[in-house]
Amino acid sequence: MDYKTVLTTCPYCGCGCNFYLEVLDGKILAPIPCKTSPTNEGKLCIKGWNAHEFIQSPNRLTGPLVRKNGELVAVSWDEALDYTVSRLKEIKDSHGGDSIAFFSSAKVTNEENYLLQKFARAGIGTNSVDHCARL
Amino acid sequence: MIKTVQERVKALLDSGEIAGFLGLKEAGGHIGPHLFTPEENGLDGLVLGDWKGPGDARYTLNKQLIHLARAYPDETFGVLVRGCDERGLKSLYVWNQLSPEKVVPVGIACPPELAKACECSKPYPDALVAGEKGEGCAQETLKQVEALGLADRFGYWQKEFDRCIKCYGCRDVCPMCFCKECSLEDPDLVNTGDVPPDNPTFHLTRAVHMAGRCIDCGLCNEVCPVGIPLRTLYKKVADIIDEEFGYRTGQAADEKSPLNILAGAS
Amino acid sequence: MTNSVSEIADADCILVIGSNTTSSHPLVAARVFVAKQKGAKLIVADPRRIPLASEADLYVRQNLGTDVALLNGIMNVIIENGWADDAFVSERTENFEAFKETVSQYPPEKASEITGVAAEDIIRIAEYYSKAEAATILYCMGITQHTTGVDNVKSLANLAMLTGQIGRPSTGVNPLRGQNNVQGACDMGALPNVYPGYQAVTMLDNQQKFESAWGARLSDQMGLTLPDMLSGLLDGSVRALYVMGENPVQSDPDTRHVQKALEAAELLVVQDIFLTPTAELAHVVLPGASYAEKDGTFTNTERRVLRVRKSIDPVGDSRPDWEIIQEISNRFGYAMSFDSPEAIMEEIRTVTPSYGGITYERLEGEGIQWPCPDVDHPGTPYLHKETFARGKGLFHAIEYQPPAEIVDEEFPFWLTTGRLYAHYHTATMTRNSPTLDTEVKEGFLEISPQDAEMLGVGPGEVVKVGSRRGEISAKTMVTDRVAKGLVFMPFHFLESNPNVLTNPAHDPIAKIPEFKVCAVKLEKAA
Ligand code: SF4
Ligand code: SF4
Ligand code: SF4
Repeated sequence: MDYKTVLTTCPYCGCGCNFYLEVLDGKILAPIPCKTSPTNEGKLCIKGWNAHEFIQSPNRLTGPLVRKNGELVAVSWDEALDYTVSRLKEIKDSHGGDSIAFFSSAKVTNEENYLLQKFARAGIGTNSVDHCARL
Repeated sequence: MIKTVQERVKALLDSGEIAGFLGLKEAGGHIGPHLFTPEENGLDGLVLGDWKGPGDARYTLNKQLIHLARAYPDETFGVLVRGCDERGLKSLYVWNQLSPEKVVPVGIACPPELAKACECSKPYPDALVAGEKGEGCAQETLKQVEALGLADRFGYWQKEFDRCIKCYGCRDVCPMCFCKECSLEDPDLVNTGDVPPDNPTFHLTRAVHMAGRCIDCGLCNEVCPVGIPLRTLYKKVADIIDEEFGYRTGQAADEKSPLNILAGAS
Repeated sequence: MTNSVSEIADADCILVIGSNTTSSHPLVAARVFVAKQKGAKLIVADPRRIPLASEADLYVRQNLGTDVALLNGIMNVIIENGWADDAFVSERTENFEAFKETVSQYPPEKASEITGVAAEDIIRIAEYYSKAEAATILYCMGITQHTTGVDNVKSLANLAMLTGQIGRPSTGVNPLRGQNNVQGACDMGALPNVYPGYQAVTMLDNQQKFESAWGARLSDQMGLTLPDMLSGLLDGSVRALYVMGENPVQSDPDTRHVQKALEAAELLVVQDIFLTPTAELAHVVLPGASYAEKDGTFTNTERRVLRVRKSIDPVGDSRPDWEIIQEISNRFGYAMSFDSPEAIMEEIRTVTPSYGGITYERLEGEGIQWPCPDVDHPGTPYLHKETFARGKGLFHAIEYQPPAEIVDEEFPFWLTTGRLYAHYHTATMTRNSPTLDTEVKEGFLEISPQDAEMLGVGPGEVVKVGSRRGEISAKTMVTDRVAKGLVFMPFHFLESNPNVLTNPAHDPIAKIPEFKVCAVKLEKAA
């Protein structure tokens, strides 16, 4: 029996409500709004109350895909990463770093945003990194 | 008080009587539900749910208990209860959601100020382990609303319901809402796709469903993001059931709710 | 936000403009209700009669895209009646005279003519707001998603400075950030003009600082914004696009243009948790992990940095996004060796002054609101206490300009777009949540009873909606939430996606597209 409640932050709007995810044997059962959080004081909206459902959706992507003969087909991580990196290198070598651009995301963590812009700037050598702030 | 509770829980865990104790834990500056198990080292962080004031960090532990009991029907669990939680347990036994042989309640009494804020009829459980049994309190808020004339009263509730953002938090937090299909999501009864939901249909549908079920814990009131006084509404429903059928939810563990019998449900 | 969410509960006057707060920021709305219960005056200004309007002491329905005229009218009244905070204006601001000159051109009668809001109501807003002990402004995309978005925001800042309603608790000019980590993405430098902590890429000092921190040569050229990346793909100056967790095919204006641009890419990499319409166009799709499968932080709309904690292992063969980026970077030849998100945060705080004091250890408990320069700093609940970031607050003299596209004979209806309570953005996550999906299954078009009657359509009947850019169809919802001549659509639903119709014309500075206004024609579907 592996039962735990893990305190985390809602993935939807900018209110930043805190809830515990109730996890039993590796399956998430439900969010429990955190009473001691200054942002939501034990309350949530309908999105927060259901913030566990999409995680375990059967439609989740579970492995990398690469387009071959027009179709996206399942491949290994190694193949997907090597393909991506070799194409990025070719394009950078022939057209320069500014021919590569990055859409970062308001849905991933701070750490991930930091890393993507660092890779764009220090790795590729371009400042062309933006995200959906305006949408 | 906390020491007495700790000793009792430790004894239960050490003796192997329970597979785990569902209580509250303070960790990283927050209080939340936690399953204390024999494998864990001690009862570090065990608290009773008082944060800035008494009982302001209570959670629906019975709901989590149902999750555990469904997955591990042969195990026995301990659970922290106040008076209202125990009313909930008794009703959940009646509705066959939990079985009394598999639950060991560890009860605490609520202080008079909390009982007053809750206008609670019985602010302590029978399975009392720690705290002083206090007096039940009168239903002042309900009386105030009832003092309004019919038209004013209807206007009052309409105005309150108009703020509803349809979070379903009142239902999702409720230890007595365990139906697989919820009438609130039946498009023939309540409109979907818009807020506020049909006023007053959404709220009265839920109120009718709470008849004979609501154990007056007040957690729906606390969870409502827009401050609708749901507890007062359900207290009224409970009064009607009492007057009509002489039944109070959660007073006995073997008495079925009159509505349960009427509906022939299990 | 300049102030904290919890402070809203103690405001004496709340002006909500261009924010459907109960749907898009429910827990902010919760504080509005608390303030209201304590006696605060609530003013709601929105072209749509949003649910919050029924709680308001004063609701006004301005014509689409006329916010500058409305605000200038309000400020005109404040100055004329001597309701301005003269001490604040003289001590803490500059350029007042030029601003005053412009505003003097907007007496309430003229503002009323442009906005459609009664002159008496403009006067009442001015009075409620300026006379309140603490008045706060809450705004959202209804203010920013215009070709005059920056003007709108500056006008709100003018209003707050004019009345001294800023730099104290429960006051301020408070943008409600739409997506959970928009604030954080900006803070972390996911913007073409700034490094983390808003340090301009074009300043040599900053460039050198980051070159030594990251051990690499950096470009001194400003990067491209999203719309420029898309046009770059079409003209060949951009060849590869790496998309992490975004769905521009659905979220950006003029869908067909976006699709064409993405199809032109030599390499399109999409990292996401679902196969979105954008991912379907990709050459490579990399499965990321959801928020429940990794550690990290989000920064909410009040600048509060909050922990995200791992609950379960990544689903299937998916991986946390930070691991994927690090792996790509290493293979590319730029070495990264973080062993956890916490290690990344340790680096972030060395290069981002406002995050200097933010450590995972200190984030236990309530989280910390930046700026937080060092580990002894408690964080900052509200900004601009003694001075503004630039020293004195600058008044801007702003003239009203009509939206980029206005209705005409061929396209006689105004279309505006927005969000619904049960869905989020392009609904990739919410439509994969059975409960939320059931709540609202499909898109619709809100139309006034008068217009519905004129077109001969009833509730739930299908209409064709066309603009200069495309055509879609949608079922009607007949409601007086919208005025005659105005229609509204949510943008969550791909099958009836109003972004096929919306105008990519954008604000010249902020590059925000004018999602909130375009001209359409309507026709009953055969
Ligand atoms: S629960 Fe609702 S209000 Fe809270 S952060 Fe999530 S989406 Fe926003
Ligand atoms: S209703 Fe309130 S006072 Fe009564 S037992 Fe529950 S928490 Fe205690
Ligand atoms: S908790 Fe309040 S807002 Fe949410 S559904 Fe219930 S009554 Fe409505």
